[in-house]
Amino acid sequence: MTRFLARRALGAVGTLFGVLVAVFLLLSAAPGDPARLAAGGLPGRRPASEEALRAFRAVHGLDRPVAARLGAWLGSAARLDLGRSFRDGRKVTERIGETLPATLSVNGVALLLAALAGVPLGIAAARRPGGRADRFSGLLLDALYSLPSFALGLLLLLLFAVKLRWVPVFADPSAGPAGLALPALTLALVALAPIARVVRESVRTALRSPSAIAGRARGESPREETLRALRRSVPAFAGLLASLVPQLVAGSVLVERVFAVPGTGQLLADSVFARDLPTVLGLTLASGVAVVLATLLADALAALADPRLVDVEEG
Amino acid sequence: MTRHCVRRRLLVLALFPALALLAPVLARNRPADAPLAHQLLTPVPFDPDATDLAARLRPPDGTHLLGTDDLGRDVLSRLLHGARVSVLVGLAAAALAFAAGTLLGAAAGTLGPGVDRAVLVLTGVVQAFPALVLVAAGAALVPPSRFTAALLIALTAWPEAARLVRAEALRLAASPYVEAAWAAGASPGRVVLRHVLPGAVAPALATLPYVVGGAVLLEASLSFLGLGVPPPTASWGRALADARESLTSAWWCVVPPAAALFLLVLAARKAGEALTESR
Repeated sequence: MTRFLARRALGAVGTLFGVLVAVFLLLSAAPGDPARLAAGGLPGRRPASEEALRAFRAVHGLDRPVAARLGAWLGSAARLDLGRSFRDGRKVTERIGETLPATLSVNGVALLLAALAGVPLGIAAARRPGGRADRFSGLLLDALYSLPSFALGLLLLLLFAVKLRWVPVFADPSAGPAGLALPALTLALVALAPIARVVRESVRTALRSPSAIAGRARGESPREETLRALRRSVPAFAGLLASLVPQLVAGSVLVERVFAVPGTGQLLADSVFARDLPTVLGLTLASGVAVVLATLLADALAALADPRLVDVEEG
Repeated sequence: MTRHCVRRRLLVLALFPALALLAPVLARNRPADAPLAHQLLTPVPFDPDATDLAARLRPPDGTHLLGTDDLGRDVLSRLLHGARVSVLVGLAAAALAFAAGTLLGAAAGTLGPGVDRAVLVLTGVVQAFPALVLVAAGAALVPPSRFTAALLIALTAWPEAARLVRAEALRLAASPYVEAAWAAGASPGRVVLRHVLPGAVAPALATLPYVVGGAVLLEASLSFLGLGVPPPTASWGRALADARESLTSAWWCVVPPAAALFLLVLAARKAGEALTESR
């Protein structure tokens, strides 16, 4: 077990290193002079003086050779220092930290809602394949997978904010639960589809396994049967959690734009628009690290729940 | 899933690029694009970019079948012309991703553990980023256009095809006929392209509609964030971003592009489902 986890962790460190280098390559592959871009590249602004450009390069370390910059970048990223924003000169980590609470609370509520609706739906669909619940969930999942999150958000806004006037049109974290209800609902619907699908497939497989058939022969109640099937599905759920992370990150970027949530997704979209490279790449790096760590965590969870997974790999 | 059903679903999916290609015949053109086509008598007599401030936010009626947006542009005309970005960029990106993914996957499966490991590390790194974040970061670096949008989307979409083709290629690479090709002195490129790739491509081909659906969603997301093809060019994602500004007064700006995206992605999903299940 320890060896399995150690090897997975080592693999994750390798991927993380690749992620760091990839982000640095993006940073230095930027066509044009970042100093000029940031200091005077935007239309309508007075071009910056040579002196100002030199000072800007020195502050952001752009006057050093690429290899030295890669070393410095890896060193500072390891110390969680992502440089300073081109826009206001503040630390990128500080700017990310400010926006994180709004995003995390919306995502937390969304994940909770999605699990509360998706798990029972998946179980109901798995218990009677082809039954009413199964057909309904099939239709719902097709619809949810095909409707982009931002289109879904706009349609919900149209219904609840414009037509019914239950919630404000723009998200407002200070207005309490009502202010963030629609963004959370939209993200919950985005996460609902994969949750219900994975629960349905894994529970269905577990219900067909020899142990489930044996249990039925012993006269197990449907409740016990379902609980056993759920327990057998834990590795699949762990994988599901890992795959939800990139989906929720991308969903947050879009949904925060729809509802004007002052969160991390908005920060990314705004920074891309303003060509604020340190912030863009800091956020890119953070999302990559989050995905890699979530995958590692999922592997560990799956291995704890089902030791056979370890045996297969070491066998 | 019957053959008949597969064909029907692929035909439904093919309606969308057909519509995109026919847009200049169905709706009036931008004069700058096609001076002659501009004169054509088209069913939708409105230029997609022509603003008419006297007719702002008109609800659907006999003249403007789907109404007008906040600049008085015809929603239907912009929907038809927007397909040229949304559908065609999505298709181009999926084709590029498929080509790159199958090539890398076949090479990884055929050319030994060194190449294999390199490709695996590359796929691991690309898949470590949420696709939208990577595409958005790319959009911060290169000025957006149809070409760069397709390229950026393809850059994030190839690993899935590579994974599928690699698995098949690993199996084929061990087969006697590939060994015979090596023995006959075929070059690595020839073995990969002539002997392994044709047999290994089928599973990736079956999932191609899913890739198209994903690429369309990604392009629409990029356009929605204002990072896609620059204005005034119409696209469904941008139409939704514009519609958000006039949401309280004009539902007809939201529903058509949302429905178009929904139907296209649904058609792609259903075609992918039919293809993968029929195998």
